[in-house]
Amino acid sequence: MSERGVVHVVDDDASFRTALRRVLMAAGFEVHAFASGTELLARASPEECGCVLADLQLPELNGLELQQELFRAGIALPFVFLTGHGDVPSAVCAMRQGAVDFLDKCAPQETVIAAIERALQRDATERAARARQQRLSRRFATLTAREWEVLRHVVNGRMNKQISAELGIHERTVKLHRTAITSKLGVRSVAELTTLAREAGVLG
Amino acid sequence: MSLVTVLWSMEAAAALTLGASYGLVWLADRRNLANLMFCLLAVAVAGVARAEVGMMHSATVAEHGEWIRWAQLSLFVALIAQLLFVHYYLGTGRLWLLWTIIAACTAVLIGNFLVYPNFNWLQISTLRHVSFLGEQVSVVGEGRLRPWQWLPAASRMLMVAFVADAVAQLWRTRRPEARRKALVVGCGIGIPLVSAVALGQIKVLYGVQVPPVQTPLFVATLVVMAFELSRGLFLNQRARSELEELRSEVARAGRVTALGQLASSLAHELSQPLGAILRNAEAAELHLNGPAPDLEELRAIVADIRRDDRRAGEVIDQMRALIKRRTLEMQSLPLDEVVHDVISMVRSDAVARHVALYCVMPAGLPPVKGDRVHLSQVLLNLIINGMDAIQASRANTKRVVIEAQPHGHGQVEVAVTDSGPGVPQEIIGRFFDPFFTTKASGMGMGLPISRTIIEAHGGRLWAERGRGSGLTFRFTLQQAGGRVS
Repeated sequence: MSERGVVHVVDDDASFRTALRRVLMAAGFEVHAFASGTELLARASPEECGCVLADLQLPELNGLELQQELFRAGIALPFVFLTGHGDVPSAVCAMRQGAVDFLDKCAPQETVIAAIERALQRDATERAARARQQRLSRRFATLTAREWEVLRHVVNGRMNKQISAELGIHERTVKLHRTAITSKLGVRSVAELTTLAREAGVLG
Repeated sequence: MSLVTVLWSMEAAAALTLGASYGLVWLADRRNLANLMFCLLAVAVAGVARAEVGMMHSATVAEHGEWIRWAQLSLFVALIAQLLFVHYYLGTGRLWLLWTIIAACTAVLIGNFLVYPNFNWLQISTLRHVSFLGEQVSVVGEGRLRPWQWLPAASRMLMVAFVADAVAQLWRTRRPEARRKALVVGCGIGIPLVSAVALGQIKVLYGVQVPPVQTPLFVATLVVMAFELSRGLFLNQRARSELEELRSEVARAGRVTALGQLASSLAHELSQPLGAILRNAEAAELHLNGPAPDLEELRAIVADIRRDDRRAGEVIDQMRALIKRRTLEMQSLPLDEVVHDVISMVRSDAVARHVALYCVMPAGLPPVKGDRVHLSQVLLNLIINGMDAIQASRANTKRVVIEAQPHGHGQVEVAVTDSGPGVPQEIIGRFFDPFFTTKASGMGMGLPISRTIIEAHGGRLWAERGRGSGLTFRFTLQQAGGRVS
């Protein structure tokens, strides 16, 4: 069976945790089981991928608090909650905090697996978006201070002549900076440059 | 018989009927003095009617004078009752004014019986006959008014002032209901009062003698006030029944909440093992569907399923123990006393639902061994179940019968039978399953708990179809000091 993704199971009930791990492993997931939220917090890193399948009622840190703590630690794992008897306010709270789903402990396996699939899908999408953004900001980070200034004017649609007057430098120097910027960022047109800068979120 | 006699008798009878009704209303709730004042007013009006007929039919001057006297006595009571009615019913009016009027009227009344022929007249010389309602009636012909006769007239004016002031006070509160009350009372009492004063002054000022017609004026007042009071009674009744309904609703909500909490904690405790069993079964299924099932793993799964099943059973046992754990304080209990206590607890609920509760207890029923609180809880539960069952039926006879009788083996059997529509046999069998309910708002815990309690008492609780249409719940209890079965 192929690996379908990583699921972090958090449940204080050993028997339920074992059973959950069994069924998820049999369904082809990689399962990391934890008895409490603190255990998961201690072990997880920002590079962690997959999703969290947690009980809402947990000792020490409850499910909702765990979700907040992980987010604060920069670990953006999507959550699916399982609960013995869910109440509407905590369900609303969980969904507002970005949980993928909120399920009954006795929900059928298909429902649970479908929710996990959605969570993993979301994790993959978000991870890809984050990676792309990181790559972009790394590229932008290679620009010098002067090049930044020129870049700002260029994306605002200024001509070389205007930029040289503004910055008090020779027009030829402006051209040199522009060439450096386009080669560093690997773009060919001003339009492409503007799109990239916006995507990387480097310009207000 | 003359028309005057017929009409005035009818008026007197109407006044007495109204007076009697509100007298009874006052007896039921003595705090409401307006009802008592209305009753007094009505009785006095009947007296006025009698005296007026006497005046109109009197043959001699002396007789006429005598009837005027009695008319004055009845008028005194009627007018004072009327003012007090205004005071109590509207809750307004200046007390010093009221006392002044009462003092003036009392003075007139005393004077009335001290001087001859009465307070108003110094002397009545002749009677005159005038045509009234198609017959000849007597009025004063020649006579001399006493100079003090302004005093009764003045006190009547003060009465008008008192009523006007009381009405105005209430009017100024600006509440629509208060204003409506003020308007009805103001018109109902004020207009006849002013008319009476006006008629009296016509007699005095113009010397025109008109037949005495105070009775119809007072009867008009009575009718308007009776209408007003009945409206209040009706509204009160409705408010009271709403209150009653609310109270029983609260009691019911309390019971549902207590059981709801129990059910909720039970559901939570059970969700772990049940969830684990489900997940394990699903895992086993996935393994079995795979190409090479791992028998070791399957064995472990089955063992875990068994363990979780035991766990679920333990949760239920704990819950049973929790109900049982409240230590039973076994004592010798007179069963009829316990039953009557419970009946008094649910009586208002039963009245509100139009259910009659009957208690059939043979004399000399031996006392039973049991815990008063727990047994009351069981009885309460069974009676309320019975009433709930009846609620659904449209039958005219709505009753719950509680019977007790000695049973063999030193036991007593108690039966609670309702006249409800009954239920099919297969449902009776499920009554004692936890969470089984036929009610919209029920938790299905009442009967299982009741059965647990009765079993803890060494008895049995079961349901069967009643003799009529409804259901009978029976339970047995040990007789106190009886042979142990």
